[in-house]
Amino acid sequence: MANSSRHGECEAMRAMIEVQGLCKRFVLHNQGGAQLPVFEDVSFSVAAGEAVVLTGPSGTGKSTFLRLLYGNYKASSGAVRVRHEGQWIDIAGDAPRLVIEVRRRTLGYVSQFLRVIPRVTTLDIVKDTMISRGVDESEADQRARAILGRLNLPETLWKLAPATFSGGEQQRVNIARTFVDPAPILLLDEPTASLDQRNRDVVVDLIGEARHKGTAIVGIFHDDETRERIATRSFDLIPFKQAA
Amino acid sequence: MNVIGDMVPALALSAPLLRVDGLTKFYGVQRGCEGISFELYPGEILGIVGESGSGKSTLLQCLAGLLAPTNGDIHFRNTQGAEVDVLALPEPERRRLMRSEWGIVHQNPRDGLRMGISAGGNVGERMMAVGKRHYGQIRATALDWLSRVEIEGGRIDHKPSQFSGGMQQRLQIARILVSEPRLVFMDEPTGGLDVSVQAKLLDLLRVLVRDLGISAIVVTHDLAVARLLTDRLMVMKDGHVVETGLTDQVLDDPHHPYTQLLTSAVLQA
Repeated sequence: MANSSRHGECEAMRAMIEVQGLCKRFVLHNQGGAQLPVFEDVSFSVAAGEAVVLTGPSGTGKSTFLRLLYGNYKASSGAVRVRHEGQWIDIAGDAPRLVIEVRRRTLGYVSQFLRVIPRVTTLDIVKDTMISRGVDESEADQRARAILGRLNLPETLWKLAPATFSGGEQQRVNIARTFVDPAPILLLDEPTASLDQRNRDVVVDLIGEARHKGTAIVGIFHDDETRERIATRSFDLIPFKQAA
Repeated sequence: MNVIGDMVPALALSAPLLRVDGLTKFYGVQRGCEGISFELYPGEILGIVGESGSGKSTLLQCLAGLLAPTNGDIHFRNTQGAEVDVLALPEPERRRLMRSEWGIVHQNPRDGLRMGISAGGNVGERMMAVGKRHYGQIRATALDWLSRVEIEGGRIDHKPSQFSGGMQQRLQIARILVSEPRLVFMDEPTGGLDVSVQAKLLDLLRVLVRDLGISAIVVTHDLAVARLLTDRLMVMKDGHVVETGLTDQVLDDPHHPYTQLLTSAVLQA
């Protein structure tokens, strides 16, 4: 690629995500083959240390866009290239095993919902991110405890599985397991939606810290105040919206 | 960095562990599975999903050497790094491979365990099959494995018939993994277990497979099990693969009409 890392290149200018000509439409085969166009020909790029906030009313495809960046949805056409350990991987076109590798080390995603194996404890969920990246057990344990404490999750809950937690508590577990060891690229889908002001402040700080260490962030935030505090730039999907 | 951390980048670049081309099985004129091709890389967990009669179990049995395919090729990269044509191997060679480098976790633990010998014996027998002879070491390793699958050491001399279904399944997993296979086949590994036991077993499998760097092929009709355990999915219908991809992508953004039907039919828990 032309924009591979050059010696002396400023970290802040380094592109981490390059989206080209991205198009998404859903085809519902069991509902008469109904076509649901979402957007077309989106090109978009994010550099290290940037926090790009997606804007636009609901239904413009913000969540869909994030899911395409993560490879959770499949692009109808176009490319989603991410910089992974010195090489560009196309999330929309490369082999699934490469996408899995990218997710393990480079690309993190926080959704509004916590999806985990039942009966696994909160502490183990948070440690798992680090252990799968090769951090040793005792360090992982220490860091997991630190971030859960910082997110004000009562210590009595750490040894419990989060299935019975409140929405806000589950969301904090989700945030903890991502921000305990922030990946170079983070995709955030309303991570503060069910948090109170105090915990929202913690998340804003965590996002800021990750960004200052060079993490590239793309996110959706429903409230204006959080959006203002996090964004270095916004990106509007409306111009790419297709007529249904 | 520990071993796992250092291994990962190399894994992504390495050659496939298993290469399957045009695998086909007919029972007379009845199609079991047809024209199945895929590659499995070291450390990958591949799920095969579909309804009863879709051919997923036939495919697994052909892959695992339990059933002779009508057509097609299976190549496996052995510990020496050589690619062997599994179906062309002489029978003793193939049995040795299945015993030492492969493992099969049966849906019914009774099919994978020797019910007449002790839990420790079940684990130890697999070690002896791959050449271990020192009794003390075998017993110590068996104990270690029983604790890894959360069976109390005090039950080492009990027979599996005295165990609950969930414990039998965990014992079967210990028996398979003790010989450190590089490829494990699982047929509905949580089938027939209570939901609460399933969850614990799933986590155990996930952690063991990750820590040991094992590759696995898991057949299941349970999409929730597939989501939690596998990296990649193949969706089967009428003996054919109709859709493949990242597990969460296939489940959340299915493209084939059949996969859309399958995923929309799931009750949300």
